[in-house]
Amino acid sequence: MKTRKLSFLLFAAGITVLVASCSKKDTTTVITPTVPASNPIAPGSISGFVKGTFTTGNTYTITADLTVKPGDTLAAQQGVTVIVKNNAQVNIAGVLLLVGTADQPISFNSDSNTPGSWGGFQCDSAQSVTVKWVKIANTGGPDPSGGPRKSLFVAAPVNVDIEDSWFTNGQDDIIRCQAGARVTILRNTIQCSGSTDGEAINLKSGVVGDVGYNVVYSQAGTGVKLETSSTAPFPQTVVNVFNNTLVSNGWRRGAAEPGRGVSVGLNAKANIYNNVMVDNYQGLELFTDADTVNTKYGNNLFYASIDNYSDTTVHPNISIPLRSNFYPGDGVGKPQASDLISTAVGDKDPMFKSFDGKVATPNGAATSNDYHLQTGSPAIGKGNATYGVDLGAYTSDATKSNKH
Amino acid sequence: MKSICLFLTAVMVICSSQLLAQNTVTGNIVNNTTKEKLAGAFVTLKGKSGKEIKTVTTTGGDFVFENVVAGNYTLKAEYVGYEILTAQITVAAGKQNYFAMALAEKNASLATVNVFTVINSDKEASSRNAEKNANNIINVISAQGIQRSPDINAANVLQRMSGVTLQKNSGADESYAIVRGLEPRYNNTLINGVKVTSPDEKARFVSLDIVPSDLLQKIEISKTLLPEMEGDAIGGTVNLVMKDAPDTVLIRATASLGYSKILLDRKYSYFSTNDIQQKSLNERFGSSYVAQPGDFSRSNLDFKGKTPIPTGIAGLTYGKRFLNNKLGIIVADNFQNQYYGTNSILNSVVPDIYLAIPALSDVSTRQFSTQQLNNGLLLHADYNINNRNKIILSNVLLYSYLAQSRISVDTAIKGGNGGRTVPGTGPVSTDYSSLTTHELLENLKLEGRHILSQHLFFDWAGVFSVATKRSPDRADLSVNKKIDTVHTTGDVHGPYTFITTPDYFDDISRVWQHNNDKDYSAIANLSYKTTIHKVFIDVKAGGLYRHKTRYNLQDAYDLKPTTNSNGVKQVFTNIYDAQWVVYNPAGTYDYDVNNYHAFENVTAGFIQAKIQTKKFDVFGGIRTEKTEQGFTINTFHPGAINGVNKDYTDVLPSMMFNYKLNLKTNIRLSYFKSISRPNYYELVPYRILSSSSATDEQGNPNLKHSIADNLDLRYELYPGDEEQLFIGGFYKRIQDPIELAYIDGTTYEPVNLGTATVWGAELVYTKYFGNIGITGNYTYIYSKIYSIKSYTDLQAQTTYDKLQERPMQGQTDNTANVSLLYRGTHRRFFAQLAYQYIGNTLARVYPIYGYDYYQQPQSFLALSAEYSFKKHFTVFGKFNNILNTATTYKINTLIVGQDVFKSNALIGFRYSR
Repeated sequence: MKTRKLSFLLFAAGITVLVASCSKKDTTTVITPTVPASNPIAPGSISGFVKGTFTTGNTYTITADLTVKPGDTLAAQQGVTVIVKNNAQVNIAGVLLLVGTADQPISFNSDSNTPGSWGGFQCDSAQSVTVKWVKIANTGGPDPSGGPRKSLFVAAPVNVDIEDSWFTNGQDDIIRCQAGARVTILRNTIQCSGSTDGEAINLKSGVVGDVGYNVVYSQAGTGVKLETSSTAPFPQTVVNVFNNTLVSNGWRRGAAEPGRGVSVGLNAKANIYNNVMVDNYQGLELFTDADTVNTKYGNNLFYASIDNYSDTTVHPNISIPLRSNFYPGDGVGKPQASDLISTAVGDKDPMFKSFDGKVATPNGAATSNDYHLQTGSPAIGKGNATYGVDLGAYTSDATKSNKH
Repeated sequence: MKSICLFLTAVMVICSSQLLAQNTVTGNIVNNTTKEKLAGAFVTLKGKSGKEIKTVTTTGGDFVFENVVAGNYTLKAEYVGYEILTAQITVAAGKQNYFAMALAEKNASLATVNVFTVINSDKEASSRNAEKNANNIINVISAQGIQRSPDINAANVLQRMSGVTLQKNSGADESYAIVRGLEPRYNNTLINGVKVTSPDEKARFVSLDIVPSDLLQKIEISKTLLPEMEGDAIGGTVNLVMKDAPDTVLIRATASLGYSKILLDRKYSYFSTNDIQQKSLNERFGSSYVAQPGDFSRSNLDFKGKTPIPTGIAGLTYGKRFLNNKLGIIVADNFQNQYYGTNSILNSVVPDIYLAIPALSDVSTRQFSTQQLNNGLLLHADYNINNRNKIILSNVLLYSYLAQSRISVDTAIKGGNGGRTVPGTGPVSTDYSSLTTHELLENLKLEGRHILSQHLFFDWAGVFSVATKRSPDRADLSVNKKIDTVHTTGDVHGPYTFITTPDYFDDISRVWQHNNDKDYSAIANLSYKTTIHKVFIDVKAGGLYRHKTRYNLQDAYDLKPTTNSNGVKQVFTNIYDAQWVVYNPAGTYDYDVNNYHAFENVTAGFIQAKIQTKKFDVFGGIRTEKTEQGFTINTFHPGAINGVNKDYTDVLPSMMFNYKLNLKTNIRLSYFKSISRPNYYELVPYRILSSSSATDEQGNPNLKHSIADNLDLRYELYPGDEEQLFIGGFYKRIQDPIELAYIDGTTYEPVNLGTATVWGAELVYTKYFGNIGITGNYTYIYSKIYSIKSYTDLQAQTTYDKLQERPMQGQTDNTANVSLLYRGTHRRFFAQLAYQYIGNTLARVYPIYGYDYYQQPQSFLALSAEYSFKKHFTVFGKFNNILNTATTYKINTLIVGQDVFKSNALIGFRYSR
């Protein structure tokens, strides 16, 4: 035992010298403590005004709209399962604090398990929103007054922290923030959402923050959409959009209203780097009314797994050339020298671990794609260093990479 | 000759008593010294048998007795403050018997009125008389003036009156009155002196284009308020006075046909109303019903071009007095079926980020095709119990049906779906809407007037008023496509062709809406009139209580396209092949943001006194109005406001001075305080979150009512019959005016904007030179309000709220109406050429500091003419907007909109006796 310890020490010393010679920056791993259960909420059916904590391992059934008043907190510990019935929604005027873990995520789904069957989190006037390691499925659809519901909606200048979570098979907008919200949207997976409209991450009127390392697959509209208010140009919406993997977005609205991987419009300002965009209807669009002077972009990979997408449901059939839409003709965005732009099928293929190559698929369709990069992917090592070494959501830098 | 007459009389008596109608007794009553015509004098014709017939003189002092059997009579004339005059007369058969009577002024009791003044205010001359003798500052247009004008509804008539412009409601006819530059919210509308309910689902005002002008006896605009008048008018009170029972038998029939030029130049877009469900699914099947795709009809979204039948108007009026003239009845009905259209351009604007100025974001064209069917039915009965007590019952029933199709094509220049690269490209969305509305307005008034003693008078009224609007299945289909360029040589600067995507089925919305506004009012006034040392004193006190309830209910459904196998929405070919899913199968009935129930109770009391000498009238008084109002809404947002009650009381003084320079000249000075209550829906704390531009819209339950101090000065000269010269000026200071503003640049809501001031000058002139007359008015208005605007400092990169000084919304700077009138000898031919100039008008507020939508100055020309023949027949023509004037809107120099209506013509005939 002792010798083993000694030899281990010697080995460690050697390694230390070795490693020190090619010195490495600090790495910090944040350990999030388990939130103690203040005001534990008894498992079972709940509705109406509520505050307290959904405690670990328990199942809760929301039977009618749930509301958290200003000053109150609704928290959920890891491993909580929530089933929503009767098309209910969760209204937050206080604090939303959902903290799951990689091993024990929190789950919110409707009992019917169909897209648009419950109302999501309406945090219009929330005091803060934290959503970590939460699986949110089948949100959206109309509210009782007929308006489309965003799956997670914030319209207040508060911190919005959405990390490591899944949004699956929702309808309409998925994450919508406006009115100066400060966002940290990292390492999430948003897929197969939006029926015939809706953006995955829609940030408006003065939102600032980061959108990075997210996967957005098969969204009806645009993956990441940035705009400022049409009546108040300042404060601007200023967002860093980096290392996202945006695949097969923008098809379901039809050719008249194509969606994009990333779009910047109406005086929004952005830094757009290190994203991987594959088979989107349109890639990166800088609209003429965006803050085109101050928006910076580069190191983005654009790839199309087929030359043309042919829509045979339309007569006469429409054939859409994918590669000419990487930077759409009606925008002012131009290919950058640092971009990796495919010129043919097979050229600059990001080499996802598995990809079925489906372009347009219905809302809620099943998918088993894996967007990790295979060894030899051209996306590796081509990143803008400010954001990361590689391109896309899955990178060799494990602390930053999407953990799904 | 005389013997022939006698012979004829004998024959007639034998043959038919009906022919006796030819024996009429007419006459005229004047002041014996000033020769002033005495309107409203009581005239009695007493026969040998002791049987009496009574009548009252017209404005011109004229009286008529018909069906008089030839013989000897006693003719008696009575008038307030005059000695009674009697004369023995002989009525000859078969001819007009004319008697001129001159009454002497009684010195003792000037004011012992014991007749009811029935002024025949049909004639334009009587308008002058009403203006002259009113206690306050008014402008009046008579039935005759209306009939001769090119106008067929009350709204059109109003716009020719001094100080009035109209607010256009897009696509439809013009309809809401702006008095003295003040928006409809600052004015009130009365029918026969009592406030009417509104068929508008959100506001208080009444669209005046549903009131056929043929039912009107006159329109009276009061620009200053007496304490006895309702206090919620800052701009003015528009009183639509309906026809009154005539002194003699009145039969009038009219019919006309017309066409609108725009519908000759393009087709009328028609949709079938056969399949429109009158009630919403929630109302038919209950709130738990789950809507199915098959529940929604298709034919009302199938638009076809057609040539419409011409506009037709028909009217019938009958009036007569029965039971020895004790009972007077008039029944009038007017039916209008109009077809008209509008071609518009409406371009949206967003601020340009680099210049902080508005720039076009969309260009769109709109084509409206409208059928409007109005029917107005008037019933009036008055009964003189004796010459001290009179009861009047009147009912006005207005029905209006509108079927409108709207086709709008919008191309984005900028924006969230890409924009235009070269002319001809961009995302194009086309909206097809069909709308039908049924509006009903009923005003039932029972009133009594009683002379209690020589000095004491009492009048009362009970009024029931209800207004409803129903818009079943307002349907809107939107399809979209995108037009791009394809560079044929691959060079982005090289030659290109256009490529257009198919039309995709985007969305269908279906809305069922109906609202109801109901008032019960009770009014009672007591007045005391006396004369002390030749000074006439009139003291009046009274009160009003009104209970109002109102609601709006809406149920809306959204239909979204079913998707193809690959999840993509379908291409739109035609409405019958379109497949959809019901996005919100529950409807919005339970929680629609537009749904509310409201009440309003107004309790008012006043006391006023008038002191009248030969040279001066001094008038003063005070009114208090207590308002309790509130509403409830259903919201699914827990903890959100779902009801509000408000309570406020205003004390409103009013003072008027009239210096009568001579018999033809008044100089008036007045001060009064008045209020304006917020519109009902503005108080409702609804919030509509924008889905596209992040600009939300919300109500404001904290909105305060506006209070105004009003000062007026007017010089009035009445040279002759229909002639006038008015020169006036006014000043208003409005505390808490209500306007829509953008708060923080992102939320559009009604707010109180500090203090506004308005001042203006008005000129009215009518003069005849032989056969030719000229009548006109000119108004200049300057108003100032500080509105909250979004200001962008490009250096500091900030946007903040900043107050901008600007005119009030709806205000026009210069307005002029000039008409040339020709009346032929014997008054058989009459023609009027009417010119109207409307200056720069602040049409709508733009959110950015320094920029607003202005309606550009415009000139209109209209012509009307009539020719009478064979005594009872008249042919007439009305030709409007002869110059095809279009209305253009600009933001500074940027053209953002244009409405083209083109001319319309109407030709008809009238029978009257």
